[in-house]
Amino acid sequence: MAALTRIDVHHHFVPPAYKAEMNKKRPMQPVMQSWTIQNSIDDMDKAGTQIALVSITTPGLWFGHVEEARRLSRVCNDFGMEMIRNHPGRFGLFAAIPWPDVEGSLKEVEYALDTLKADGICMFTSYGDRWLGHADFNPLFEELNRRKAIVYVHPHAAACCIDLIPEVNESVIEYGTDTTRAINSMIFTGASTRYPNIQWIWSHAGGTMPFLIERMVNLAKIPQVAAKLPNGLMHELKRFYYDTAQASNGVALGALKQVAGASQIVFGTDYPYRLSIEHVEGVAGAGLSRDEMIGIDHRNALRLLPNLATLIKA
Amino acid sequence: MAAPHRIDVHHHFVPQIYKDALIALGSACPEPGYQPPIANWTVERSLDQMDAAGIASAIVSVTTPGIHFGNDAAARNLARQCNDAGARMMQDRPQRFGLFAALPLPDIDASLEEIGYALDQLKADGIGLYTDYESGGVKFLGDATFAPILDELNRRQTLVFVHPTSCICCSRLQPGIADAIIEYGTDTTRTIASLVFGGAAARYPNISWIFCHAGGTMPYLIQRFIDFSGRDTGAMKAAMPQGLMHELTRFYYDLAQTAHPGPVAALRKIIPNSHILFGTDYPYGAGCADQVKQIAACGFSAAELAAVDRANALTLLPRFA
Repeated sequence: MAALTRIDVHHHFVPPAYKAEMNKKRPMQPVMQSWTIQNSIDDMDKAGTQIALVSITTPGLWFGHVEEARRLSRVCNDFGMEMIRNHPGRFGLFAAIPWPDVEGSLKEVEYALDTLKADGICMFTSYGDRWLGHADFNPLFEELNRRKAIVYVHPHAAACCIDLIPEVNESVIEYGTDTTRAINSMIFTGASTRYPNIQWIWSHAGGTMPFLIERMVNLAKIPQVAAKLPNGLMHELKRFYYDTAQASNGVALGALKQVAGASQIVFGTDYPYRLSIEHVEGVAGAGLSRDEMIGIDHRNALRLLPNLATLIKA
Repeated sequence: MAAPHRIDVHHHFVPQIYKDALIALGSACPEPGYQPPIANWTVERSLDQMDAAGIASAIVSVTTPGIHFGNDAAARNLARQCNDAGARMMQDRPQRFGLFAALPLPDIDASLEEIGYALDQLKADGIGLYTDYESGGVKFLGDATFAPILDELNRRQTLVFVHPTSCICCSRLQPGIADAIIEYGTDTTRTIASLVFGGAAARYPNISWIFCHAGGTMPYLIQRFIDFSGRDTGAMKAAMPQGLMHELTRFYYDLAQTAHPGPVAALRKIIPNSHILFGTDYPYGAGCADQVKQIAACGFSAAELAAVDRANALTLLPRFA
């Protein structure tokens, strides 16, 4: 087996109790149904991944019921912690929260970070018609800022954008776009500047943000917009982290590198939707230097998660 | 300064009738609304901008929010009058201006009539479409609703310029972030996906397509496009017998509002230089001369840049040679 040198920040787990409840609503996709811990470990071993930070993915756990969302968050987070305990050094956790339930989310943050010692919090790019810069999120982000937490942000198709094109699945365009909306929301509401201690990881190489950079640069030149960005647009974009999931190619990573810098790119796979090895091969073929690739494999992620350094023997 | 040589395929004109239409809509006007760039446009300002940027010829089109505001008869009238105004600009300065004619879509019959009028009577250089229309819900260009239009444009081997608009799904989603920032580019990506995955791109091989803003966000999502095209091989083979990349690389892409080294490098990794076109989005953007300066910093060789500036467009628009 190859040396395990990678840290995968975008890796999904499917807690059985969560799966059972989701299947009652609408059967989960086959890749979700067949997920097991051992399959994750096998996939990681093949790709030289030491540790995967697991998170739940769509459909999330908010279906309009506070108690249900609180219960599902707890079930998922406890299962994640069990995985971490039973497979030392192989898993970390970006914990689920029952947002938009503010009180329940603050409690789950406390439980996940203090009791479970989770590595960070997982959020979605939007909740209904609210993206992450919306004032609704202030109490949560104040707490996460105080804790200097990592927030890993996963996209989904926003409520606006379901079933738009009959022939095209939403994951093709809408997921990436919603990440772009959330990034723009964080920046242009001033939330990114207001909460400088939160460390953000955006999925899929920033969605489509790097491709729309010229539009953002021009928006940031408007005086009343610039006033909300005392450190400038690029300061915010260059402090975020972006994972390689479903974007491990020279087209996306080349543009991302020019916008945010190679030091902000972290390895992510979207397993079980894609295989980790595809991402290893994709990054290798993206025209990056050896040093930049080592950064993506683990060095950049270790700036976020320095306690993992003892695990990586590169 | 070098003699004007550039061909700007993405340049807007705003005839008085169009200004009046947006003013009449008032607060009901979809984004971007009756904004200063629209209000202040004149032919002379376009020419000044072109002269300052070495632009020999601009192919003008009506920008978003387009022509149709819910009333078929009004849309038919507005399209006709805008096209007549564009034709007058061509008659006055045949080498300085060309026209991508507007259609009163989603009114299919009236649009077929306007295609004939614009191409036969006015000798327009092509047809301008928007990325989506509302016709019993949002419809992107690959939708069967538009088959009669694409049939006709294919039969005539038409050059089609596809301009983004604010999809009804996604207008004014977030205060302070205009639709232009994220939603326009995304809507171009959606209509490209609709055309390739729905099969229309392959079914109408004689249409030459120009997509704005370096393809919206399509190049950045290329891995998603490729993976999706490999999912259901039977249906995908039927939709794209020659494959996804064949269709994507036969389209043309302008550089308006995307002249940043990151996105331009991404576009060039999947699209041959011969299919990249100079465009400014005037009167939007930071001015035509600024666009020239920005593109120059995007890593093109002198020969590549010369092709982008002029030669590539001439293959589509030979009358400007």
